[in-house]
Amino acid sequence: MSKLFIVNKYMLTAKNLTKKYGEHIALHNLNLTIEAGEIFALLGQNGAGKTTTINCFLGFVEPSSGQAIINDISVTQNTAETKKYLAYIPETVMLYGNLTGIENLEFFSQLAGFRYSKEELSGFLSKAGLQTTAHSQRVGGYSKGMRQKVGIAIAIAKKAKVLLLDEPTSGLDPKASNEFSEILKELSQQGTAILMATHDIFRAKEVAHRIGIMKQGHLVSVIDSRDISATELEQLYLQMV
Amino acid sequence: MRFSVLKILSRQVYRSTIKKRSTLWLIGIFNLMLGFAVVSGYQILTTQQQIVDKYSQQVRHRWEKSPDKHPHRMAHYGYVAFRQKFPLSFFDFGMNSYVGNAVFLEAHRQNTVNFSEASLSNGLLRFGEISAGLILQLLLPLVIFFWGFDLISAERENGTLRILLTQGISWPELIMGKCLGLFSVSLTIFVPVVVISLILLFSNGAIGDNWQSLGYFAILIVGYLVYLLIVSLLAVFVSAKSNTSKSALTKLIGFWLFFTLILPKISLVIGQNLYPSPSKVEFDTAVEHELLAQGDSHNPNDPHFKVLKDSLLQAYGVDSTHKLPFNYGGYVMREGERLSAETYKRHQAKLVAIYQKQQNVVRLTALCNPFMAIKNLSMALSGTDYATYHDFENQAEAYRYKLAQTMNELQIKLISNTTKGSSGKQAIINRKHWAEFPDFSHHFPAFILVFQQEKLAIFSLIIWISGLYFLVTLSSKHFKAF
Repeated sequence: MSKLFIVNKYMLTAKNLTKKYGEHIALHNLNLTIEAGEIFALLGQNGAGKTTTINCFLGFVEPSSGQAIINDISVTQNTAETKKYLAYIPETVMLYGNLTGIENLEFFSQLAGFRYSKEELSGFLSKAGLQTTAHSQRVGGYSKGMRQKVGIAIAIAKKAKVLLLDEPTSGLDPKASNEFSEILKELSQQGTAILMATHDIFRAKEVAHRIGIMKQGHLVSVIDSRDISATELEQLYLQMV
Repeated sequence: MRFSVLKILSRQVYRSTIKKRSTLWLIGIFNLMLGFAVVSGYQILTTQQQIVDKYSQQVRHRWEKSPDKHPHRMAHYGYVAFRQKFPLSFFDFGMNSYVGNAVFLEAHRQNTVNFSEASLSNGLLRFGEISAGLILQLLLPLVIFFWGFDLISAERENGTLRILLTQGISWPELIMGKCLGLFSVSLTIFVPVVVISLILLFSNGAIGDNWQSLGYFAILIVGYLVYLLIVSLLAVFVSAKSNTSKSALTKLIGFWLFFTLILPKISLVIGQNLYPSPSKVEFDTAVEHELLAQGDSHNPNDPHFKVLKDSLLQAYGVDSTHKLPFNYGGYVMREGERLSAETYKRHQAKLVAIYQKQQNVVRLTALCNPFMAIKNLSMALSGTDYATYHDFENQAEAYRYKLAQTMNELQIKLISNTTKGSSGKQAIINRKHWAEFPDFSHHFPAFILVFQQEKLAIFSLIIWISGLYFLVTLSSKHFKAF
């Protein structure tokens, strides 16, 4: 019963979300809802408005009109409150190179208001798929895949209800990329709403529940991933953009 | 603003800065320099205190041991007043080495205070002394800027800033947290020198009768802490505002040059041009000119004192000054001393007013220049500014006037009116009178005077810290996350 309630809850909503830079319209009347536990992938060329959408939800970009809403709270009106539910994983998760994985996680968790023991922190890193031997190594020596895992661990430790991902798997080797997808699925099963901007059509088809295609600031198409094969999706994408 | 977040952020800045080997070297070098500056300053101070003690005792001894003689001869024998050094002067040398240390006090004349350190030393002093005050005011900000310029801009450049902000911290929290971290790093340089200075202050014998300096030091410490906070906040604020670390560093070094070198120099030149002061020769000539018109008080028959003479004769109903019931020569001398002292005072007051106006221009720039503010405050509280020196001049002149007039009074009362000259047996008085005249003692200005004079500086520090704070808390919308 409660599971049903969670699934129906809209965690992320964009209402006529628009962002203009002078004459240029980066995002045009975007309307989008993402439920708890849902993974939504945004496809589109560079400059299609994917990152702008994510930045609006993060509060880093103020929309020209419309609203970005997280867990029923408007981002522009109460940025601080919405941050409590958010976690963000950029193309490369940048961390403090002179600190270890655990120290980085501890620092960022403390800022979010959580205090964990070393064991708990280590547990989060393991859950995010980071091998135990790397936990107390300096992040400066981490590969990109390992950094992304710390990013996931930060999200888990924060108990984030919404995950915003900006091309998180670009540049990852297939194995790391696959691991990453598995973790995302797991998080989604636990009720996390995930918005992911990506160029990886096959990854999107595999991991996402719904897929949106953006072109010049417009969301031109939204497809249920069960209704389409990867090849069909690719053809559709090429037609659209 | 949440205290816990500030603590986490500042601790992170402190730890990551202190971890670097270059930081440790810098901290070590600064502590060495500061330690050397205060210890050598303290040695100079105690040496000077000993010299002043020794020679003022000698002056006193010789004054008291002077033989029986005519009091006016004693007034011409004179006295030497020595400028004491404030026990805190080792912390900030200020103008100490460039202003005079001793002045010869005699009847009729206001001599210049002479024998400054600069006039006695070889050229070495010309290269400038390095006092703890100077290092803290001038060099420490530069180091703080080097530590702080990229605290936010580098996080923006490498992308950690977005993750930081996504964790729910606000811009004011981020800036204040980083600022407090930077500030605590600067304390690793400031605290040791304060501790050493306190030890030195207590080991100085003069502290016993001068607790004043301890109170001043407490205020000075607060002043410096606020200054360091301003510098730290400025560094982090500029780092947050700048697009790149490089431009942040360029701006901060620009600020530093402008505030510490350009603005003080400009304000000084403007002050001197707006209110030109006469040269020493011009000043002396003007005073001399006026004094000549007042006549020679050594000569009781000088026509300038005719009115005085006539009124006295009339009042006492006699026809000759010889018949007056007191020493007429002493009376004229007393009157002459009063007139010449007043003349000098008036001219001196005018001159000082010009100096004040020049300095007020500099003080006014302190409002927009925290460096100038702390410099003025530090000098004033260390007792090494011009006002403290001028206060000594006034005390010495007041003592000189009292000395000359006391001797005149002795002449009026004790020397027979019919005595001619000043060498005969009747013209001398007992030497016991010399010891009755008290020794010169130099006091330092009370805090209320220092405060009144430096209120602009204090005001400036308050304005800067609160202004920057409001700027940080109010303009958080204008900072960029990427």
